[in-house]
Amino acid sequence: MKHVIIIGGGVAGMQCASELARQGVKVTIIEKESDTGGKVKNWHKLFPTFTPASEVLSGLRHKIAATDNVTIKTGCEATEISSNCVGLASGEELSCDAVVIATGYTLFDARIKEEYGYGIYDNVITAADLEEMFNKNDVRLVDGRVPRRIAILHCVGSRDEKVCQRHCSKVCCVTGVKQAIELKQTFPSADVFNFYMDIRMFGPGYEEMYREAQQKYNVHFVRGRISEVSPTIDNRLQIKAEDTLTGRPLKIGVDMLVLLIGMRANDMNAKLESGNGLLRQASGFMQPKDAFLGNAESNVDGIFYAGAVTAPKNVAEALCDGATAAARVADWLSKKE
Amino acid sequence: MINFGFSISRPRVIDIDRNNLNKSKEIIAEMPELQACIGCGSCTATCTAGNLTEYNFRKVHTLVRRGEYQGAYEELNKCMLCGKCRLACPRGINTRGVIMLIKRKLGDF
Amino acid sequence: MTFFANFCIPFILGATVLFVTITIKYISWLKSLPKSDLKLIVKGILSPQTLVSIWEVVRESLLHARIFRVNRRLGYMHMSLAFGWFLLIVVGWIETVAYLGFRWVPLQGHVFFKYFAALNGLNAHIAIFDFVMDLLLLFVLSGVTLAWYKRRNSAKLGMKRATQHIFFDKIALTALWFVFPVRLIAESITAGIYGGGGFLTGGLGKLLAMTIGSGALEWVYEPIWWLYSLALGIFFMAMPFSRYMHIFTEIPLIFLRNYKLRPQDKEKSYDNFEVEACSRCGICIDPCQLQQQLGIHDVQSVYFLRDRRYNMLQQKIAHNCLMCGRCEQVCPVGINLNTLRLNSRTSMRNIPNEGRYNYLRGKDYSSGEGKVGYFAGCMTLLTPNTLNAMRKIFETAREKVWWADKDGGVCCGRPMKLTGETDSAQGMMDFNKKLFEKHNISTLVTSCPICLRVFREEYNLKGIEVLHHSEYILRLLQQGRLRVKYSTEQTFTYHDPCELGRGSGIYEQPRAVIEAIGQLLEPAHNRKNALCCGSSLANTAIDDKQQLTIASGVAEEMDATGAKTLVTACPLCKKAIARGTKSKVVDLSEIVAGNLK
Repeated sequence: MKHVIIIGGGVAGMQCASELARQGVKVTIIEKESDTGGKVKNWHKLFPTFTPASEVLSGLRHKIAATDNVTIKTGCEATEISSNCVGLASGEELSCDAVVIATGYTLFDARIKEEYGYGIYDNVITAADLEEMFNKNDVRLVDGRVPRRIAILHCVGSRDEKVCQRHCSKVCCVTGVKQAIELKQTFPSADVFNFYMDIRMFGPGYEEMYREAQQKYNVHFVRGRISEVSPTIDNRLQIKAEDTLTGRPLKIGVDMLVLLIGMRANDMNAKLESGNGLLRQASGFMQPKDAFLGNAESNVDGIFYAGAVTAPKNVAEALCDGATAAARVADWLSKKE
Repeated sequence: MINFGFSISRPRVIDIDRNNLNKSKEIIAEMPELQACIGCGSCTATCTAGNLTEYNFRKVHTLVRRGEYQGAYEELNKCMLCGKCRLACPRGINTRGVIMLIKRKLGDF
Repeated sequence: MTFFANFCIPFILGATVLFVTITIKYISWLKSLPKSDLKLIVKGILSPQTLVSIWEVVRESLLHARIFRVNRRLGYMHMSLAFGWFLLIVVGWIETVAYLGFRWVPLQGHVFFKYFAALNGLNAHIAIFDFVMDLLLLFVLSGVTLAWYKRRNSAKLGMKRATQHIFFDKIALTALWFVFPVRLIAESITAGIYGGGGFLTGGLGKLLAMTIGSGALEWVYEPIWWLYSLALGIFFMAMPFSRYMHIFTEIPLIFLRNYKLRPQDKEKSYDNFEVEACSRCGICIDPCQLQQQLGIHDVQSVYFLRDRRYNMLQQKIAHNCLMCGRCEQVCPVGINLNTLRLNSRTSMRNIPNEGRYNYLRGKDYSSGEGKVGYFAGCMTLLTPNTLNAMRKIFETAREKVWWADKDGGVCCGRPMKLTGETDSAQGMMDFNKKLFEKHNISTLVTSCPICLRVFREEYNLKGIEVLHHSEYILRLLQQGRLRVKYSTEQTFTYHDPCELGRGSGIYEQPRAVIEAIGQLLEPAHNRKNALCCGSSLANTAIDDKQQLTIASGVAEEMDATGAKTLVTACPLCKKAIARGTKSKVVDLSEIVAGNLK
């Protein structure tokens, strides 16, 4: 029986594992956290359908549980990777016939954009923090009050030379619209302002959701990037931006600021490049063998990619990638015989 | 107050067919990075001078690029050259360099 | 006795041109000095400063002590040429006196003494002079060999790059290379024919007479003295128009500098002495980070001064400089490179203020009240961690503070001065000065070294003490108004901001603060040799990627210390360094606020 090791137990890795297992391949998932699910397990609902993230995860877990072929090793980090062997931090070495790297991405550390005050001022939170609050059904200010005015800032740690993240993280725009709607659903009387540079609604149903946020939920969209956040005497946040559509500076006091942090490449990608000769893009994300016909393969035989390890992707794309990678791996295994 | 440009007597239309784009081309040729501006407004939002008076760097350089030079030099003279905008610009534009270049081109330094 | 031969003509011509040109230059420069500078000269000339200057001339113009300190081989090269040649002239003079007694001998009689001694039949040689003159010639020749070798192989002399020279320099340089070897041959041939000469010229003369015969020697005798005179003449003629003008200019410069003349905001006549005292040794090239890290080779101080001297300075050269002061730090002539570059920029870009900042009238967004004023600085508004830390420090020390610019202030004016718009910058400076006076503060604390420098040096704030927050914090610690926790577990490394370190001489205060909290690990370049973060406001020419390259180099050096936290004391440096590393980069105030007892 062939053995495939999947590094990373997020949605892409789980999808890939379940597809391979269904085809009778023995699969081991190496997950560094205590549970599978990756970033999605901390998310509340998924755009544009508001499907609970937990639903997607339980679906995937069911598929995996339906076969006996998948072993999941959690709390376990892969340190050495080659196409036929994976070394773990524990010193254990697992041999295999192919490897799928599905290590995903890292959330941008909002503290680096010091001027936005994350980690300095209360009530400056990230999109991930907000999802956690939604999960706990406990969205409120640090002092327990209900926010009356909320600002959401797009492109934090994306499209920004100053933090060396030049790429667009793609999903933040949609997330910002989704979270604006959810906030309005939670606090109908609150005002929500989205500050954006460009709104990129690339997926099916996204544009419609954007329009709904504007028309149905009365979310305000201000075209301007926030430059500074400072505290006010009454413990609110004072935001400075330019309202570029009127060409005038804009100031606004808000109770809460949500930073739509971007997706950046994992630090370990550099090691994959230097240690394994895997190609990396300027953005730091891994470079697939071909942008069109080889997007699940790496430039090294027997090593495959699935999910956001190659570029920022949404959940649907990551799932799609998982299935594609499974098909490519199966193909490779059959040729290898 | 509605601010349409540098002064209210200017025609409303930016007529690129009639504007003389030579200076604009020279400026862009010397600093092509200016074309990378995505108009996010960070520079204007953070602007030390813009905090105290009506001065909008983003608008001035955009108009200059379109061949609208009138009043641009005087507007740029409100700038304090403190350099905050350069720190804020997500496109990494050398904003102080741009200001000095436009002033040089339009003010005969 | 005759002291003239036709071959002397090139030399006499050259020496005359040299003498006349230099006299004209000095007189015109001195004549157009501003009154205040002339007063300083009159005051200084009868003071001990004159003696100090004479000693400095010996030390620097002859022995080249400062170059020795930077680079020994280079120091030897310059010393052997300058001091060696000087001694050749002095001893040569004594030699003539020894042979002829006290009597007037024309200049060429001294210079070509060996020729005229033979011509006038002075065949009783004084051996000691033969020996000493040969020894000195050997000394100079060793320098010439090194100089020649340096041209071809600068790295071997500890210089990564040697200066690229202009036409006049090349002529003068070539002539100079010829002077001493040709002198050696000319004197050797003379000794070969007429006898005499020391171990070098005498020995070589005998060897030549033996190998090629005295007939051949007599045949080349006149031409070789012609060649020697030509080399000298050409060198002297090119000298006042080439870099070799520094040989003479450094001497008046030393006197004027000791009389406290300095270059200022705007170009003035004194600058000529500094500009032409540059020997284009090129020591300023290697420390330049634009050269080291970005491969920019035509903007360094040596080229700036050269271009300025020949009136071919371009804005893009004048503005492409971080003004970090690393070159000024090593300049063996002690030229005020930053100030000269600044006043060049002013000449190119200064525009009358003409009410540019009239809109400031009546604006005051300051808040709070206290004897201590805090001016965060524009950039600090983008690093709120520093603001927060300062607030906490003020509260803990129970200091009542007037916040000058928290909700929007006026720039200190230095960034604009750095671009050359000096008169306009004054508009902002006047505004801030009035603001400080109006709020009646006695201490002004700032977190920005750029502001600090201009407040201290140019605001002329009477009755207000200006402090950088590192000095202020250290004072609070010493007074016991702040107490911090110490732990060896905490390791820090510190980056000296250019304007704070080299600019304001504040090196030890931030270090004392860090060492009160944890262990300090020094990066490879520190204190006076510290690197620039690359984000300097003085440079408006390099782009974002180039800034990042320089910053990454600095960050790499700091990370190499193994320290957990990288500390600096300037908002610009902080932002720059943070781009180049994944480690934590903080302002000095943050580690203090985070470790309060």
